[in-house]
Amino acid sequence: MLKIFLAEKSVQGLGDWLPSISSISRYMDLSDEIVRVLIPPQRRVRSSKILRLTLGSFWCLLHLLVNIVHLGSYLINLLLYCMISSGLLQKYQNLQLDKLRYLAIVVESEEAKNTTKIKQLLGWLAAIGVKYVTLYDMEGVLKKSVETVLKSSANPSVANGNAVVSLHQDRMTIELLSFSDGKEAVAKAASFLCLQYLEGDSVGYNKMEPVFTETDVTNALKAVGHGGPDLDLLLVYGPARCHLGFPAWRIRYTEIVHMGSLQSMKYGAVVKAIYDFSKKHQNYGS
Amino acid sequence: MCTIDTICYQWQANPLHIPFCAINPTQSLSSSRHHSNFPLQVIEMAKIYNEREEKGEKESARNGGNGVEQLPSSLRWELLPKHVAVIMDGNSRWARMKGLPTWAGHEAGYRSLEEMVKLSCRWGIQVLTVYAFSFENWHRPKVEVDFLMMMIEGCLKENIECFLSEGIRLRIIGDSSSFPNSLQEVAKEAQEKTKTNSRLEFNIAISYSGRRDITQACQKIAWKVQHGLLDSADITESLIEQELETNYSTKFPCPDLLIRTSGEQRLSNFLLWQSAYTELFFTKTLWPDFGEPEYIEALCSFQQRERRFGQRIVSE
Repeated sequence: MLKIFLAEKSVQGLGDWLPSISSISRYMDLSDEIVRVLIPPQRRVRSSKILRLTLGSFWCLLHLLVNIVHLGSYLINLLLYCMISSGLLQKYQNLQLDKLRYLAIVVESEEAKNTTKIKQLLGWLAAIGVKYVTLYDMEGVLKKSVETVLKSSANPSVANGNAVVSLHQDRMTIELLSFSDGKEAVAKAASFLCLQYLEGDSVGYNKMEPVFTETDVTNALKAVGHGGPDLDLLLVYGPARCHLGFPAWRIRYTEIVHMGSLQSMKYGAVVKAIYDFSKKHQNYGS
Repeated sequence: MCTIDTICYQWQANPLHIPFCAINPTQSLSSSRHHSNFPLQVIEMAKIYNEREEKGEKESARNGGNGVEQLPSSLRWELLPKHVAVIMDGNSRWARMKGLPTWAGHEAGYRSLEEMVKLSCRWGIQVLTVYAFSFENWHRPKVEVDFLMMMIEGCLKENIECFLSEGIRLRIIGDSSSFPNSLQEVAKEAQEKTKTNSRLEFNIAISYSGRRDITQACQKIAWKVQHGLLDSADITESLIEQELETNYSTKFPCPDLLIRTSGEQRLSNFLLWQSAYTELFFTKTLWPDFGEPEYIEALCSFQQRERRFGQRIVSE
């Protein structure tokens, strides 16, 4: 039962530590009713004030305790990220990247306008040793801003929304995607499959019913210019904990981690997310 | 003496309900004369309050209330998600931790699902979609797969009457051709009997794969083009969405909130297309341990997102 109280409070954050006015007034009404029934009239006034004070203090104390716990948890995370950044924790220094072949970053379009932060994030990923990064935002802000930046950098090579750049002496492939590479791309692939099927049908397959497989859809996506590898890890920057329409076909078994706001991104948090991913074990349903 | 957590829970859930042990008055609050009658007086008060609340609920129902029972105080009806999806993960791990066989974990998971359906009905969630068995799960040991198929069949048979009485519409999504024949029959019967219910749309994903869902949608569209019902130039994403398995008759085909238990943070081929704007809530709790507190936490998390970001979107 305390779990319900703590569960509710766990998502309210530090700003909501004051109990709501309506909940306090309900408790006050309840305490008044108890006092009216149980206590002789001449003692009611004093007793009701004591009870009100006690209940109100008790409630505020519980709220305060829960928020102190959450503040503590937040500070511990901050400390951990600082220690990771400064190299104090050995286990985060040599990340095993065998399982991380393809990493994606989803950014909320408003935050994606901050190209400085995007460049900083790409620099961090290159320093960590990530070889393939897919950048996505719904409205295509990254496609416009980052492509310009990449074209002006050394060894520019941009084709089909992908760029191979040299960052920190390592080559990293950067793929740029937007909403048109997601659901719209599947619609194009469906249209391609349909035309392919009808052409085959007209050659004389006795009007067989169409039977498509997942491989057919994958090949169709490649044929219409929207193919790409399945992603291993997806980091979401922004207020919403969702992937904002990232190409659905490619995130079947992708680990999705919400990183918070791009403005407050931390190197230690990125390293920790990659480290935690490297320790995951997937059985793919079997 | 009632513990603090009981007071917290009771007053959080329903401040007007008073358990008979709610208060342990101190000496300053009661005289010896009143103390002897105290439990009876509190029980009387509890009755009075409960009667008042029932009267209030009846009036609300007469006045066109939505039939939703009182929510925990931190949840607001207008901010609840319409469609909740759940990846019920962790049954086997739970059983291993308890030193029990795997089937015991699945049975415990079934109890959690019962509770979730009950709470969803109570709180006015309109669509609940659960991932009971993925297409990839066919690769599990045959003994486990056979047990799961048998358990699902038994659960459907056992609960048809309950679905009918509670107004739950059942729908099975996934590749039903791979089910045992007996399960296909039971599933068909349960869906047919409950098709007029409307209180809660309860979708159970069995042998489901998000990629196969998209593939079969493309296939259906190709069939329609072949038979002249559509032109290939008219194929759009909305057309594909209409052919997905979740789009049959539901007003809310895409989940607002997706909960995954057991600490894994991935979709595992579940509702890949439909989850584009879905709030993802990952919890370390194993599915058999997922109960009312955990569900409230997930719903609170969803509401927090709506409060902070829904208004921003509107103002833009």
